[in-house]
Formats: sequence, structure tokens, C-alpha cells
Amino acid sequence: MFKNFSYFLIFIFAVITISEMIGFQSIPIGPFNIGLLPLVFAIIITMVLGLQIFRKGFWKKVYSDRNISFAGKYLIFIMLPLMARYGADVAPQIREILQVGWVFIIQEIGNLGTVLIGLPIALLLGLRREAIGATLGIGREGELAYISEKYTLESKEGRGVLSIYIIGTLFGAIFFSVFAPILLDLGIRVEALAMASGVGSGSMMSAASATLVARIPEMESTILAYASASQLLTSFLGTFTMVFLAAPLQRFMYKTLVRGDK
Amino acid sequence: MSPALRKYIKYGLILLLSVSLILFTQEIKLIKNPESTPVTSMTFAGLGVLWLFSMIGIAISNFLQKSPVKFIREFPILGWVSITSLVLCLVSDFFVQAIQAVDFLSITTPILTFAGLSVANRLVDLRNTSWKVAIVAVFVFTGTYAGSALLAQLGLLLSGN
Repeated sequence: MFKNFSYFLIFIFAVITISEMIGFQSIPIGPFNIGLLPLVFAIIITMVLGLQIFRKGFWKKVYSDRNISFAGKYLIFIMLPLMARYGADVAPQIREILQVGWVFIIQEIGNLGTVLIGLPIALLLGLRREAIGATLGIGREGELAYISEKYTLESKEGRGVLSIYIIGTLFGAIFFSVFAPILLDLGIRVEALAMASGVGSGSMMSAASATLVARIPEMESTILAYASASQLLTSFLGTFTMVFLAAPLQRFMYKTLVRGDK
Repeated sequence: MSPALRKYIKYGLILLLSVSLILFTQEIKLIKNPESTPVTSMTFAGLGVLWLFSMIGIAISNFLQKSPVKFIREFPILGWVSITSLVLCLVSDFFVQAIQAVDFLSITTPILTFAGLSVANRLVDLRNTSWKVAIVAVFVFTGTYAGSALLAQLGLLLSGN
């Protein structure tokens, strides 16, 4: 047991070393520049090697059930030093942030984009009750709790939110690290993108703000300050936005669109 | 040893692992690119501060589990740690200086390594997910990010910043 755990630790150090040695890679695709950070390589390497077909011999020891559940259970604690860093980013710029404080609150409402854009697409694809769970938000713990309380996770709504949760967990960080620089190339200001990075998931926020930092290193302190202030605000207001704005809007749009369908 | 103490020792050790991984990553980054953030005595102080703030956040969250208000009980540990850090960084500039000696991107690589490992058994669940939901997911993520970014852009424009 202890031996497996030491393999697990050695593996983590190895993955970090390999990912950092590959380093930041900038890949131009058409007019866009997609930046791949070491963190993207780290998540891809660990996911690909974790596929069932590789789980033989040595890899089976690294990817033992105990080790995987350890990683899942304590991921949040591994993440805590990152959260502890954000105070140092926000504190020196607190005045500036409070000055544009209302912009931070306004952009929280932008999280309704999940319903506004996601719901019509979901209905168009023929999803019905699954769409409720799948488009209420980005399917993090808050939405999972709300949907399971209201519909249970075995319901169709529950299946929808679980699917988004899984997809987000697997690909969320990669998605945001690619999508943030695309919006930057489309002309959105880096301050706005930094604020938007506080989507409510720690790993997605780090991925989004990290690629922005990699693209515009001279703005590092502003990017991190805005991203973390917005993340903190999302953890305060996120539940309220979901219950009092997203859910009623979704109900209204669902009724209107599904009726028009028949 | 009391169970509460054991629990804190366990959290302390895991956080120690976390900050060690950060230090390791920063060292590797330096080998790859000697121009990146150097490892100085301030870096060690910074890692110590990050460890301490995390522990304080955990303690606050544990303590407030007794609170009668549901919202406070369910407020994430991550949030408490950020608030602790913000308050203490406003109190003393030393914390700011120390923490900034720790390279930001070096904090993110170990986290995503852990995240990748933790989902290893979930890959199978993807089979139960329909391709329709996968398409919807792209629009859902796009929606939240683009929605917030556009409103923020508009807000910044209106406030003349």
C-alpha cells in the first residue's frame, strides 16, 4: 500500500518535470494563437495514462483505486495554496478593484449566458428535461446540489447536470485555456477576460487566468487580481444568481421554446 | 491523540506536499528558463505563508460547521482561505512580498496534475454521456465566459477605464 503511494508521488514529480520541460507552446491556428501551458500537458498526460488499456503492471500500481481516490479527495487541499495566493494579488490593488466594483457585479450576470446560449442549442438538438440540468450553469458543485435537491440525480435533469459536471471536470480547464486567448484575439480587453475567469471552478479559473498571464506577462498582477476577486465574488453570489436569476429565466425560456416547438 | 488533532496533522501534511510540489515546479521552471522567478529565502517564506493561510482557512471552515446559518456552513473552504489571505495581506505588506516570490504558474501545474489523476476513473462515465450533451457543454462554457467578458467589457467602457 505504502509502496503504491510512493510510486504515485514519484509519478506526480515526473509528470510535473515532463510538463515543465515541454514548457509553454504557442500554436497559431488561422488568426488565433492558442497557447498551451505546462498545466495543460500535465492534465493530458495524467488522463491519457489513466486510460484502462494502460492499467497493467506498473501503471496499475500508480493508478490504484486508493491513489485515485486520494487524488480526488484531497485535490481541494492541494488547491488551497493557490487560493491563499490570491489575497496577495488582490490586496495591493484593492482600491482600483473597489472603484470598478459594480463592473464585477454586473459581469456575474453574464453567467446567465449558459441558459441564454446553451438552452436553445440543447432544445434544438432534441434534449428536453436533460437540458434543464445541463444548462443551468457550468455544472459545478452548486448546480449539482440544487438539481439533486430539486429533481434528484437519477432524474433526467440530474443526468444532464451530471454529464456537464463530468465533461467540465475532464475538459473544462483545457477548454478555458484555449478559449480565453481566442477572445483576446477577437479584441476583448484582458481586464474583462480576467474578470470573466472567475467562473466558479478553481481549476477552470486557474487555467483561464494562467493563459492570459502567459500571453500578456506585463499585466500579471492585474489579471490575477481581477480573476481572483471575481472568483471570490462568484462563490458569494453564485448561488443567488443561480436560484433567483438563472433558474426562473430557464423556466421561462423552456416553456416558451418547447411550446413553440409543438 | 484526539481525532481532531489527527485530522489537522493530516491536512497539514497534505498542504506540505502541495507547497513542496510548488517549490519543485518552480525549480524545474528555473532549469528550463533561468529568467523565470528565482527561488530565494523569500520564496520559502512565501510557501510558509501559503501553508499557514490555508490552515487558518481550514480551521475557520471547521469551526463554522456549528453555525446555524446554512449559507455559512456551506461556504467553501476555498472561499475562507481567499478571505483569510485577503485580510492578512491588507494588514501586512510582508505577506504580499513573500507570496509574490512564489511563481504563479508553478502553483497551477501540480494542481492540474492532481486533477488529471483524480478523474482517471471518471473517463469511463463519458460513455454514458450523450454526444448531444457534449455539444451543449461547449455552448454552456462559451456562454458563461463570453457573457461575463462582454458585460465586463461594456462596464469598463462605461466607467471610462
